[in-house]
Amino acid sequence: MPSSDGLVVRDVGVSWAGRPVLRDVSLAIAPGEFVTLMGPNGSGKSTLLRAIAGFEPLDRGSVELAGRDLADVPVHRRGIGFLFQEPSLLPRRTVWENVAFGPEVQGRPEPEIAGRVHAALGLLRLEGLRDRRSEALSGGERQRVALARTLAARPTLVLLDEPFASVDPELRTELRAEFRDVLRSQGISVLHVTHDREEGLFLGDRVLLLHAGRIVQSGPPDDVFRRPRTSEVARFLGYNVFPEGHGHVAVHPNDLLVGAPASDTRSATVLASGPVGGAWVAYLDATDGERCEARSTSGPLPAAGAVVGVRWARSIPLEP
Amino acid sequence: MTSRLRSFAPLAPVVGFVALFAVVPTALLVALGVASGGATGVADALSDPLNERALENSLVQGALSAFAAVAVGYPVGVLLGRFDWRGRGLVRAVLTVPFLLPTIVVVLGVQDLVGPDAPLVRWSPSLGWLGVGVPGIVLVNVLFNLPLVALLTAVGAESASRPLEESLATLGATPAQRFRWVWGPPSWVGAAAGGLLTFLFSALAFAAPLLLCGPRCYTLEGRIWSLVQRLLAPGEAAVLAGVMVALLLLPAVGYFLLVSRLRSAPAALDRRARRIPWRSPALWPVVAVSVLAVAGVTAVLASILARAAAASTPGGPPGSAWSYLFGPSATASAGIATGGAIANSLVFAGVASGLALLLGILAGFGRDGRARRALRVYLFVPLLVSPVVLAFGLATFWRPALGGAADVWVLILLGQATLALPFTLQSLDVALASLGRHHRESAQSLGASPFLAYLEAELPRVRPALVTAALFAFALGLGEFTATYFLATPSFTTVPLELYHFAAARAPGVANALAGLLVLLSLAAFLVIQRGGNRALL
Repeated sequence: MPSSDGLVVRDVGVSWAGRPVLRDVSLAIAPGEFVTLMGPNGSGKSTLLRAIAGFEPLDRGSVELAGRDLADVPVHRRGIGFLFQEPSLLPRRTVWENVAFGPEVQGRPEPEIAGRVHAALGLLRLEGLRDRRSEALSGGERQRVALARTLAARPTLVLLDEPFASVDPELRTELRAEFRDVLRSQGISVLHVTHDREEGLFLGDRVLLLHAGRIVQSGPPDDVFRRPRTSEVARFLGYNVFPEGHGHVAVHPNDLLVGAPASDTRSATVLASGPVGGAWVAYLDATDGERCEARSTSGPLPAAGAVVGVRWARSIPLEP
Repeated sequence: MTSRLRSFAPLAPVVGFVALFAVVPTALLVALGVASGGATGVADALSDPLNERALENSLVQGALSAFAAVAVGYPVGVLLGRFDWRGRGLVRAVLTVPFLLPTIVVVLGVQDLVGPDAPLVRWSPSLGWLGVGVPGIVLVNVLFNLPLVALLTAVGAESASRPLEESLATLGATPAQRFRWVWGPPSWVGAAAGGLLTFLFSALAFAAPLLLCGPRCYTLEGRIWSLVQRLLAPGEAAVLAGVMVALLLLPAVGYFLLVSRLRSAPAALDRRARRIPWRSPALWPVVAVSVLAVAGVTAVLASILARAAAASTPGGPPGSAWSYLFGPSATASAGIATGGAIANSLVFAGVASGLALLLGILAGFGRDGRARRALRVYLFVPLLVSPVVLAFGLATFWRPALGGAADVWVLILLGQATLALPFTLQSLDVALASLGRHHRESAQSLGASPFLAYLEAELPRVRPALVTAALFAFALGLGEFTATYFLATPSFTTVPLELYHFAAARAPGVANALAGLLVLLSLAAFLVIQRGGNRALL
């Protein structure tokens, strides 16, 4: 792995009660890079973040930040910001007091604290809320205050653990863009965990796919999406996976063609079918036991119970 | 009957029970005492030097015991509530045992360990002051109340928001700052609640002053008992009962408010293990105090059991106390066969715990709604009424109604059930509160009445808490000494009373054997209770 001034994680292993949760995870994030870490529930995403922050002891491996090994550095001296799914603001304190907490505990002089808080509130358009108590904020406001608080502490790296998961869908889209722009403008390295593939592909300069405690694929979002390497990655990205020859192929729902059974098609039963937005979606049970999804913009798909034939226009071969 | 009134109907028996057997007898007792002596009688009672000393003893012993219990129990609670470590369950279990033992057994245990004849004191006479007088009483109170402080502290520490603590850590907050801002305050609330409860129990301690010091150390509880049973001055005793209720009111209200705050905090949902940071020097004194506390409790228990195993009659071989205990001489001395005393203890504790559980179940139904808080405060009134005052009230107002001394067993049952009720309510309340409302609402949406929904949809889900509450009440009944001592006639003697008889009759071997027997009985109950975790005592 190349050395980096940003974050370098080498061969990290973590286990809980003897059960391995992370297995030989290695990754690097360059200064200012925004990386998203995706994977299904239970794949070890949050544990990796907690291990980097210092909350989980490592069984093996190392974590370096800006060239410094963090093995003996306690959490509060690592210079790593962490945003959780639930923004944990200090109760009975105003927005200003919450944002000022980091520089205050770092012992910064008063004018510097005020400057940092002003800047952070300005970046996240929170000046109007500076005197409001944390209990009186909406979910989106709380999350923005949490980011402002993190920025005011001037971290080298920010870890985002699904910070938009408990926000309304409409607001989520707005917050995603805002967070990305603010963090990029500050040149901070970011490792963002999500199980929402759309969010992960939208935000990241680079994406990492984690499965069963291992990183199974990484690369630019578009490359990863267009060329999933394994069946786990393909399934996570929304592809159908079918056995073909001695291996498997990934087929995007848009490329799955549903029609009458024929000699060159696979037989399947339609489980459910209906319009979703501008497309028609059908969920099918193929005779070889695979569940799959088909999408069509050209017209209705057969109704539930129909026995159909499926084939595909395009497929991506997967590694065994 | 309106549906609103109907929904309160299941609460009527428990409200009535507390009124009939705790509130009304105590209020009448105090009123009668004040009325019979008039203003002069009240003034005389209050200015009597012995009564003044009893009040002073209550305050001093209560305060010293509370401070000492918090000083020892807080570090233990921090270790139990903050960290996961091998043997945590065992330590929690060991610390809980003394609370379930009769105080008289703990007194004997302290005497066995640091009393004038203890091997430790013979080896190092400078330790002799620990086992007698006020230090001995405080030591007993601390051993008895240590689990309350430790477990309440643990509950407070556990309820602190872990995400908030971790967020602040990543912002640069040191462990000391995280303690100050996040987990310190709730753990202080727990420790303060435990300290107030320790004050309540210690200010009305009975057995320890009786056995370790004598009349000069009597608390108000001992003085009231003495005035009624020895000096035949019930009027003066009734005035003191009023003083005692007034004295306990403030700490009881404080305890209730603090526990309500603790209960409103969510139980920790994050079950990820948190290892002890052994390398942090700030933790070493915490670990050292905890090790001493566990060693102290273990030493007392081991000393009781060791002495019991080898207990002998004067001049007899080791173990001879056991054959004496179950022979005719013991029956002649105590007025009841040991088997009869065991049967009495088991029956009283069994029936009283069943009654307390039944009342607790009915009270659990009333945990929602506007009247909830008032009802909860009301049901905790028995905490304010000391065992002697309760027994005094029951004997004064209910014995005549029940037909005299022949029905003493009813009074003992009522007394034990009333004293166990607050603890039964606590155990059930916590478990029911953790359920939320959706089970009951789901059953109601299917047509069940609110009470049926409670019985069918909620109670089965808190079965472990029901078992814990019942066994907790059973253990308290088994060890109950003060009220039973006030009420019982020889044929209704229980094991703690028989134990006191032999301890007072200077038959330490037989007393030790009985103490060992009680420890074993309590241990059996406790092994099941400890499954309830830290919140079982909340």
